[in-house]
Amino acid sequence: MNPLKKFLNSTEKHFTGSGKLNRFEPLFDATKTFFFFPSPKVKHTPFVRDNLDLKRYMSFVIIALLPVLIFGMYNTGLQSGLAKGETYTIFKSLLTGARFVVPIIIVTYAVGFFWETVFASIRGHKISEGLLVTGLLFPLTLPATIPLWQVALGISFGVVIGKEVFGGTGRNILNPALTGRAFLYFSYPVSLSGNIWVAGNPAVDGVSSATALAIVAREGQTITSALSDAGFSLYNLFFGFIPGAIGETSAFCCLLGAVFLMITRIANFRIIIGGISGLILTSLVFYLIPGGNDSWLNAGPLYHLSAGGFLFGISFMATDPVSAPGTNPGRWIFGFLIGFFTIVIRVANPAFVEGIMLSILFMNVFSPLLDHMVIRYTTSKRIPNV
Amino acid sequence: MKSISIKKGFKLPLSGLPDISAIQLPEPETIAVSAMDIPYIRPKLLVKQGDLVKTGTSLFCDKKNKSILYLSPGTGRVKQILFGPRRKLIEVVIDLNKNQDKNEAFVKFDTLTLKTIKAVPRTTLIKHLQDGGLWQCFRQLPAKDTADENLTPAMIIVSLNGNDPFSPHPQVVLDNETRYFEFGLKVLQQLVKKIVVTCRKDSLTRLNGCKPFITHVVPDTYPAWDPGTVLYKLKRSEKENNSWCISAEHLVLVAKLLLDGRYPVKRVITVTRSDDKKPHIITRQGAPVKDLIGQMDTTGIITTGRFNGRSVNPDSHLGFFENTLNIIHDNDGDEMFGFILPGLSKPTVSKTFLSCLTSTPKDLDCTIHGEERACINCGYCTKICPIDLAPNFIMKALHADDIEDALGFGLLDCVRCGLCSFTCPSKIELTKLLSDGMDAHFKDKE
Ligand code: SF4
Ligand code: SF4
Repeated sequence: MNPLKKFLNSTEKHFTGSGKLNRFEPLFDATKTFFFFPSPKVKHTPFVRDNLDLKRYMSFVIIALLPVLIFGMYNTGLQSGLAKGETYTIFKSLLTGARFVVPIIIVTYAVGFFWETVFASIRGHKISEGLLVTGLLFPLTLPATIPLWQVALGISFGVVIGKEVFGGTGRNILNPALTGRAFLYFSYPVSLSGNIWVAGNPAVDGVSSATALAIVAREGQTITSALSDAGFSLYNLFFGFIPGAIGETSAFCCLLGAVFLMITRIANFRIIIGGISGLILTSLVFYLIPGGNDSWLNAGPLYHLSAGGFLFGISFMATDPVSAPGTNPGRWIFGFLIGFFTIVIRVANPAFVEGIMLSILFMNVFSPLLDHMVIRYTTSKRIPNV
Repeated sequence: MKSISIKKGFKLPLSGLPDISAIQLPEPETIAVSAMDIPYIRPKLLVKQGDLVKTGTSLFCDKKNKSILYLSPGTGRVKQILFGPRRKLIEVVIDLNKNQDKNEAFVKFDTLTLKTIKAVPRTTLIKHLQDGGLWQCFRQLPAKDTADENLTPAMIIVSLNGNDPFSPHPQVVLDNETRYFEFGLKVLQQLVKKIVVTCRKDSLTRLNGCKPFITHVVPDTYPAWDPGTVLYKLKRSEKENNSWCISAEHLVLVAKLLLDGRYPVKRVITVTRSDDKKPHIITRQGAPVKDLIGQMDTTGIITTGRFNGRSVNPDSHLGFFENTLNIIHDNDGDEMFGFILPGLSKPTVSKTFLSCLTSTPKDLDCTIHGEERACINCGYCTKICPIDLAPNFIMKALHADDIEDALGFGLLDCVRCGLCSFTCPSKIELTKLLSDGMDAHFKDKE
């Protein structure tokens, strides 16, 4: 027998029944099923079952996030070097970035798993795989300079208030990662909004610089030239060589992940495509309305698509199935309105320049209603059978 | 011949398709009539252990309607009456007389002919069928309970294909039975105005005699040929909800009973096992499972329909409504890092295993592949449900005890095909929950 399996089997008795460590049963179970895929015999019809389960489902989101994560680490290092007037090599950038990013991830997972274990023990059920995703999404929305205690606070809020008070994974209305992030945004705006801190050498501390979305053009200048003056050329915005939250800068990497998720049908393409078309259409409308040359009103679809965390949000946050609608028409509307509100918030409300987070949370609240309306409609089309 | 288009359902090619040839099984030592496969029955025994019975002797009836009889498919002695928990009848086992052949003793029933059938009153015809132990071949949707003889249904759906993707091929079942099949349709004309005869597309090519009678062709997607699915696609008004259905095999039995005056016992069975291509088996109704499957060499399970049958043990007997046995093997136990391996050989209807890129027949085992979790609203169940239900929303309505909502969402249209449970990544027993919900509703209505 596999030695690891032997070890798990021999220690199992301490964690189950009246074993000394039975409080940690959920944690033990999560560890065991992580290494060894459980597959008990079917008890009811149908006697055959698909191979896809929630562990794999959630792992695929993690896989889709890997390019974002790796580029995020690289870019954090790169920006930190640039702030000091140096250009780091790829390797050095990655290493420097990892020094900032990895602790944030570790803290997130540790604190998140702590809360999951607490609630799983209280409720007597298994640790849900949802946390795997939440625990990686959350750090990627943060700037690398965030103090670790804020990370711990944010993920605690996200997991406890965003998910567990509703009854755990599957019952939450809001996306837990975004809930945590929104909490931090409103509680500690200095760390998160307006000017993003570029992760610097620990000795020098951070250097501040405006995010692309906070840029306003001077008299007589168009927004796009103001953006490129500040280093935000479309190329940089799209590929993400700009300061910003760890995972949100590169539209390209987010698109890679989105395509992967859509091909594997883990994310529903309707949300992503709906969101992107909502954003494009809305920004196009604003673009065509005369005036406002100097603000994001006039930036046009491509800039809007590439800047800020829109693609990250629509690909990874909005597609969280639990907080999104479960019906296809609902998903189209949900996605489209997220795109729409993102633009509206961006151009109409300079206080919250980053619209995607609020639009997703806002639409999360409405997704049960969307589902309800769609189901009412489809039900009315059925021939009644009672 | 019209085509019915059904987009959703189960499209994976499976391995273990039985061969089109047929072999005759030697007479078994015991046969039985099982009560386990009869939906909603409350059996009342009519024989005792040790009684002598003939082919066609009543063994038990249904307390709900005592004229519905279950007859002995052979001549011999009642060997054993098996009960389950709370004295629930499992099966009546009969020791067959040795040398049962042409002149086996049987109960004689009245006969009809092509000429007389036209003039028989409906009630007399139904009485004939009830006495002959075959009225229960007529099932009434949506519950698929025994048809209510006082009702004139809007239509009757005759299915040439059985419940499982690998149920017997209609060509084997109806081989040389065209005359009976045609007579059966005449019988139906006496009972119902609209007759729908459905056949799977891929069964069509090999079919000869009965082909002209087919009215609707359904695609090769499980469960397109289920009468419930067909009805969902065909019905235009609420009145048609209580249509009847019958399998082509049973229709032939009905015709044989009426024409020959003798309870028909011949059945065609398939036994399927992945990586095997067994011929069809011709045998007697109620044959022992172990005679049919031969050596059981795995720790797997035997079912009478991998998606919607029951699980049987080798010592039991095949039921009246069952004509297929699937031997589904176990898997090799917990796999290390199973959740993230590429899975070239792991069948799935999702797109998360490399296997979805190949079109080789897939081999499904009888394990869950994961653990139950809360519903994540992924919509996979909605995507596969052949009759456009949203099983997750129905499940939530049932959990909230809101039967009105559940019915409104179309609960009774559910054909219990099992695909929602099959596909759910959270491994929720959706089919069971829905099925129990339906049964509770029917019970309330009674
Ligand atoms: S609800 Fe489930 S069992 Fe019922 S028809 Fe739909 S997929 Fe089949
Ligand atoms: S497939 Fe399972 S998890 Fe997904 S929506 Fe249906 S019930 Fe919920």
